[in-house]
Amino acid sequence: MKPPPFQYAAPTSVAEAVELLAAHADDDARTLAGGQSLVPLMNFRLAQPGYLVDLGRIEELTRIRTDGDTLVIGAMVRQSDAEHAPEVALRAPLLAEALGYVAHPPVRNSGTVGGSIAHADPAAELPAVALALDAELVVVGPQGTRTVRAADFFVGPFATAIEAGEILTEVRFPRRDGGQSFVEFARTHGNFALVGVASVIETDGATIARASIAMSGVAPVPVRATAAEETLAGSAPDDASIRAAVDAAVAGLSPSGDAHGSAETRTDIARSYLRRGIELALTRAQDRR
Amino acid sequence: MTTTDRPAAPPVRTHKEDRTWVGRSIRRVEDPKFLRGRGGYIGDMTVPGMLYAAVLRSPHAHAVIAGIDVVEALAAPGVHAVITGEQAAELCDPLPDFGPNPAAHTWRCLAVDKVRYVGEGVAVVVADSRYLAEDALALIEVEYEPLPAVVDPERALEDGAPLVHDDLGSNCAYERTFDFGDVERDFAEADVIVTDRLRWHRSGGQPLETVGAVADFDHATGALTVHTNSLSFTSYLFMVAGTMKIPANKLDIRPVPAGGSFGSKLFATKPAVIAGMCSRQVGRPVQYLEDRVDNMSNCDHHGSDRVYDVRLAVMRDGTIRGVDIDTVEDYGAYIQFGVGHHGNALAQVVGPYAMTSVRYRVRAALTNKNQQGAYRGFGSEVNNWMLEQMVDKAARELDLDPVELRRRNFIREFPHFIPTGNVYDSGDYDAVLDKALELSEYKRWRIEQAKAREEGRCIGIGLITAQERSVFSATEFWFWFDEPGAPVTSMPESVTLKVDATGGITATLYSCAFWGNSPETMVAQLVAEEFDCDPHDVSIVYQGSKNGLPATGPGGSRTTVMLAGAVEGATAKIKAKALRAAAHLLEANPDDLEWVDGGYQVKGVPEQRKSLADIAVMLHLFKHSFPEDMESGLEDSKVFDHPYTTMPSADRTDLGVFYPFMGHACHVPVVEVDLETGSVSFLAYAAVHDCGTLVNPRSLAGHIVGGTAQGIGTALYEEFVYDDDGQLLTSSFLDYLIPSAMEVPELRIAHHETPSPYTLHGIKGGGEGGRMMAPAAINVAVNDALAHLGVRVTELPITPDRLRAAIRAAESARGRE
Amino acid sequence: MQRHEVTLTVNGRTSTVSVEPRKLLVDVLREDLGLSGAHIGCEHGVCGTCTVLRDGRSIRSCTTFAVQVDGAEIRTVEGLADGAELHPLQDEFWDKQGLQCGFCTPGMLMRACEIVEQKPDVSREEVREGIASNLCRCTGYQFITDAVCAAAARMHSGSSETSGAQA
Ligand SMILES: Cc1cc2nc3c(=O)[nH]c(=O)nc-3n(C[C@H](O)[C@H](O)[C@H](O)COP(=O)(O)OP(=O)(O)OC[C@H]3O[C@@H](n4cnc5c(N)ncnc54)[C@H](O)[C@@H]3O)c2cc1C
Ligand code: FES
Ligand code: FES
Repeated sequence: MKPPPFQYAAPTSVAEAVELLAAHADDDARTLAGGQSLVPLMNFRLAQPGYLVDLGRIEELTRIRTDGDTLVIGAMVRQSDAEHAPEVALRAPLLAEALGYVAHPPVRNSGTVGGSIAHADPAAELPAVALALDAELVVVGPQGTRTVRAADFFVGPFATAIEAGEILTEVRFPRRDGGQSFVEFARTHGNFALVGVASVIETDGATIARASIAMSGVAPVPVRATAAEETLAGSAPDDASIRAAVDAAVAGLSPSGDAHGSAETRTDIARSYLRRGIELALTRAQDRR
Repeated sequence: MTTTDRPAAPPVRTHKEDRTWVGRSIRRVEDPKFLRGRGGYIGDMTVPGMLYAAVLRSPHAHAVIAGIDVVEALAAPGVHAVITGEQAAELCDPLPDFGPNPAAHTWRCLAVDKVRYVGEGVAVVVADSRYLAEDALALIEVEYEPLPAVVDPERALEDGAPLVHDDLGSNCAYERTFDFGDVERDFAEADVIVTDRLRWHRSGGQPLETVGAVADFDHATGALTVHTNSLSFTSYLFMVAGTMKIPANKLDIRPVPAGGSFGSKLFATKPAVIAGMCSRQVGRPVQYLEDRVDNMSNCDHHGSDRVYDVRLAVMRDGTIRGVDIDTVEDYGAYIQFGVGHHGNALAQVVGPYAMTSVRYRVRAALTNKNQQGAYRGFGSEVNNWMLEQMVDKAARELDLDPVELRRRNFIREFPHFIPTGNVYDSGDYDAVLDKALELSEYKRWRIEQAKAREEGRCIGIGLITAQERSVFSATEFWFWFDEPGAPVTSMPESVTLKVDATGGITATLYSCAFWGNSPETMVAQLVAEEFDCDPHDVSIVYQGSKNGLPATGPGGSRTTVMLAGAVEGATAKIKAKALRAAAHLLEANPDDLEWVDGGYQVKGVPEQRKSLADIAVMLHLFKHSFPEDMESGLEDSKVFDHPYTTMPSADRTDLGVFYPFMGHACHVPVVEVDLETGSVSFLAYAAVHDCGTLVNPRSLAGHIVGGTAQGIGTALYEEFVYDDDGQLLTSSFLDYLIPSAMEVPELRIAHHETPSPYTLHGIKGGGEGGRMMAPAAINVAVNDALAHLGVRVTELPITPDRLRAAIRAAESARGRE
Repeated sequence: MQRHEVTLTVNGRTSTVSVEPRKLLVDVLREDLGLSGAHIGCEHGVCGTCTVLRDGRSIRSCTTFAVQVDGAEIRTVEGLADGAELHPLQDEFWDKQGLQCGFCTPGMLMRACEIVEQKPDVSREEVREGIASNLCRCTGYQFITDAVCAAAARMHSGSSETSGAQA
C-alpha cells in the first residue's frame, strides 16, 4: 500500500498554486491539503494524480478571521485548530461541535476544513454544516475568484462545483442566531457516520421562527431537510411539532444501503437522529433566550 | 469404552505451597524493548542487499486465468523478478495442508489456472523497494474469464452449485456424524426439546502487525534462512522445507517477535514460502510483508463461519440431557487445518453441564472466500456461544431462572469425562458463579433493569458460564478419520537451561514465538521459582528451527503449561547434577543436603552450604575436582511431551483425552439497547475466570480484557462481509470495525484458582479466555434486554442493521396481533 | 524520479534526506533515519501505530508525505526516554502492563504524550476517549488507561520520582 509516483510543488501563494495547477493540468494535477483523504486513497492506489500542488505552505489560507458578521475560515485551517478556536465557538458552535466528530485528533491535526469540504464525502460532517449554515465557498481559478453557495456546491458524491484548476480558498459562514446542534450516529467512535444531522433553530417567543437542518449520509450529497424546516417554521416548540417535522423529513428520504446499514436501517436512524438533533438545537435556542 | 478401561491418568501432584515468584504480577521481562520502539519486528529487519516483494491479488471471486503478461512489469524500474502462479508451481510444491484429501483441493502460494477468491495471489514482483514493486504490479496484465461464484455455505452444498475445486467433485470437503452416549434415549425421554437455528459470521484475528518474512537463500550451501513472525508449529517446519523443495536440514526458520497473532500467525506458511521462493530466484535476501489488504483478504486466517441447527433435550426441572448439533461451516476456498476447529469444540462441547449424550454432525463447505485459519478460540468460542444461547432459550421456554438452570446442571466431580471422551481435570463452577454474581452486582442490576423497563429503556444482563479448554494435543486434527493420514500424537515443548560460571541463568526457548503472550516472563518466573533468583536476572534467548529441539509453540492456550513442564524437567536435571557436585564439594552425602534459598546445604547446618554460583564456577572451570564421570558445565534440556493425551477408540465413540486442563469462566455484561438505532452499549461488565494456579495475575487479566475486547468486536462490530458476487466489502479498517477504547467498557475482573492436579503448580492455560466468553455473554445480554418485546437475535455480529431488522419484524408481528 | 531535500528535526536532531515526494513520513523515519519505532499497521490512517508528534501534535505518519513536513519538529518514541531512564509514560506502561505484543505501543505512547502534555489534569474518561484514536488489538485498553492516568498523575504532581525502574 504505497502511493504511486508524482511530481510535487509547495507554492507559497494562491496565485502561484493556481498557475501550477494550470501548468500541470496534463499530469492530472491536484491540490494536496492535509492529505487525510487523498493520501489513503493514493496508498490504496485509488487516486493516481501525476502532480500534487501542496497548499500547506500558503500562509494566507491558514487564517480564521471575521468579516463583519461573517466568520471566514481559510481552506487550510487545520480541523483541530478550527475546533478549538474561540471565534468558531462563538460564531459557529455548530461547526465546532461537528469537528469533534470528524475522525480522531491525530487526523484532525492534519486534515483541513477546506479539504473536507472539497473532498465532499457524502458521509462527512463539514459539508452538512456548510449547507445548514448557508456557507459560501470562495473559489479561485485562472478566471479569478468566484463565490458559490453551499446549496450549489455539492453536486455528487465526492464532486463539487470546484472546476479543474480551481482552488477553494475560504469558507464563509454567515452569522446565525438561535440554537445549533450537530448529532450523528457512527458505528465506532471517530469513524464515518451512517447519518449526521446539523440543525440551527431560531425561536421567537412561543414559536419557532426559522429552522435550517442538513443531513449527511442519507443521499449522494448532503441534503437540506426542507420539509422539516417548513413544518417547524411558525409552529410551537413542542414534541408534536418535532414529530411532524421528523415525519416530513423522513418521508422525503431514500438513502442507499451498504455493508453498514440497509436503506431501511439508515432511514430508522435518520428518524431518530433528526429528532435528537432538533430537540437539542431547540433546547439550546431556548437556553440562549 | 467405559471409564474403567481408560488409560491411566498422570499421577496427581501435590503443589508447592509457599511460592515466591509464581503468582506475582511482576513487570514483564519482554517489555523494555517494546517501550523504547526497539521491538525488532519483522518489518524492522533489514539485511544488506534486501529486496522487497509484493503480490498481485485477484479482483475476481472465481475466474479462469486465461493468460498473464508480465513483460512490461519486468521492464519496470528496479524490478528484479516477476513470478506468476504457473512459474511458482514449478518452483514450489503445494503449501502444507492438514485438511482432508489435500490433493482434491490443492493449495499453492499463488493461484494456478484459476482464482478462487477475491484477494488470492496470482503473481509476485520482487523489486528494490516496496514502492517500485507495487508500481510493477500495476503493469501486470491478467486475462480473467469470470466464473459464477458461490458464497453461501448451504447453497454451496446444493447440487448444481458452482464448484470451487473441480477435482473434489462437490463443495463438501468433509462430512460426518458422531454419536457420543445414548442420544436417542436422551431425546426420547426429554420433556422438552429446545431447537434453534443460529448463525455466526466470520471475523478474524487482525493483529495490528501483518504476517511477514525475510528469506535469504544461499546458493553456495543450498541453505535457506527465513526470519518470520509466524510459523510457531516448529515441529512441522520440515513440511515447509518440502514445499520449498529443499532438504529439511537446509532450512532454518528463526522467530522474531510478532505484533499480535491471536492464532492468525500460528502456521502462516504462505508469506515465508513466497519470500523463500523469491530469494532463491533472485539470489538475494527478500522481504515479503503483507500489507493490510493482503492481511484482510489473502491471509488464510479468517475465523469461524457457521450455521447451526441445534436441539437440546431438557427435562421439566431443568436437567439438560443431551445436545444434537448439526453444523455447516464455511471454510472458504481451501481447508488447511481440516475440521480441527470442530475437534476443538468437541473438547468442551457440553460446557460445564453434566449432559450424557452428544450428537455432532459437521459439514465443511468450500466457497469462494478467503480460507479459515485459527482465531482465538479455534472454534470453541463458537460452540460456547451456541450452547449458551440454547441454555438461555431453554430457561425461557421452561420459565426457569437462567442462573439456577445453569447451576442445576453443573459438573461437580472431577476428574470428569464428558461424552466425547475428553476429561475435565478440575473445577469449581459454583464458586466461580458465586463470585461473578457478587462482582457483577447481579441482583442490583436486575432491579435497575426493572426500573429502566418502566421508563421504556432496554437493559439486558447476560450471564453465561462456559469452558476454556487449554493445552491441546494433536489427536483433535485426525480423530475425524477412521484411517487418518497422519495420526500424530507428539506435541512437545522444549527448554534448555544453562547456568553459567557466575551462576547466571539463561533459558533457551525453541521457536516458542512471542506474539503478545508472555513466554519470557513465564519462563523467567518459573525459573526464578525453581532457583530462587530474580526473574529479571534470567536471560531468555530463542533458537531457530535448525538447531532447535522439538517444539510446538503457542496455540490452544498451551504455552505456560508446556513451558512449565519443560522448565521443571530441565531444572530437575540441573539440580541433580548440582546436588551431586555440592555433595562432593561439601564432602557430604547427597541425601543429607537440601535446596535452600538458591543453594545446597547440609540439613540443619546452614553454614555448610554451596550456592548455585559456587557450584557453577566449580563445574565450569574445575572439572578435575570432580569424579571422572562428571562433565564440565551446568546445562540441560527438557523435551516435555503433552502430559495427558489418550488415544481415540477405533470406532470413534470415544475420542480420548485431548484437551485435559479445563478452565472455566463466568461473564456478566450489562448492556443497553437503543431500540431506535439498534446499537448496543455497555453499562457494566464483570468477568471471573478460573485458569488454575496463576503465574502472573495481571498478565492473565490482560488477556481477559484483551480477549473480551475482541469478543466485543465479534459480537457487535467485526465481520468480513462478502457480497453475492464474492466481493469483500470490508477490506479496510474503515469498514472492518475493530473496537476502540470507546467501544470497550471497563471490566471488573476476578480470578478463582482451582489448581490442575496434573501440572506444575496446578497451572492451566488462559490465553484465549475473554474471546471464548464475550460473544456468548453479549448475545445473551442483548436477548435479555429485548425478550419482553419478542425480539431474539440469533446471528452475530449484532449490527444495527440486524438488530433493527429484528425489532422491525417484532413490531410488525405485534401490529398484526 | 524527481527527488526533494527534506530537513527534519527528529527528537532534537536535525537531518536532511533526499527523497521522492511520494515517500511516506513513516518510511523516511524507518528507512532513511533508522527509527523503526513508528510502525506500519494499516497505511490508511485508522490504526495509529504510526503516530508521531509534529510540532507537538500527533499525526499519522502513514498518511503524511515527508515533503509535507519539511522543516518540522518531529518526536518519536525513540525520543521519550532520557538515556537509561524511562519516561513516566513508558515506566507506567511497563508497570501496569499497558502492552502485550507492543506493536501499538510506540504510537499509543506518543498519542498519550500529547494528551498529558495538553492537559496535565486529564480525567480517566478523557484518557479513554483520547486514546480511542489508536487501536490496540491486545490489551482491551484498560491497562493502557491505567498507565496513562498514573503517568499523568506523576507528571502533574511534578514528582520526578520514578518507580526506580531502568531498562
Ligand atoms: C481514519 C480516518 C477517519 C476519518 N473520518 C472522517 C470522518 O468521520 N468524517 C469526515 O468528514 N472525514 C473523515 N476523514 C477524512 C478527513 O476529515 C480528511 O481530513 C478530510 O476529508 C480531507 O481533508 P484534507 O485536508 O486532509 O484534504 P486532502 O486529503 O488533502 O484532500 C482531499 C481532496 O480534496 C481536494 N482539496 C483539498 N483541499 C482543496 C482546496 N483547498 N481546493 C480544492 N481542492 C482541495 C484534494 O485535491 C483532494 O482531492 C477521516 C480520515 C481518516 C484517515
Ligand atoms: S499505519 Fe498509520 S494509521 Fe495505521
Ligand atoms: S499491545 Fe498488541 S496491539 Fe497493543
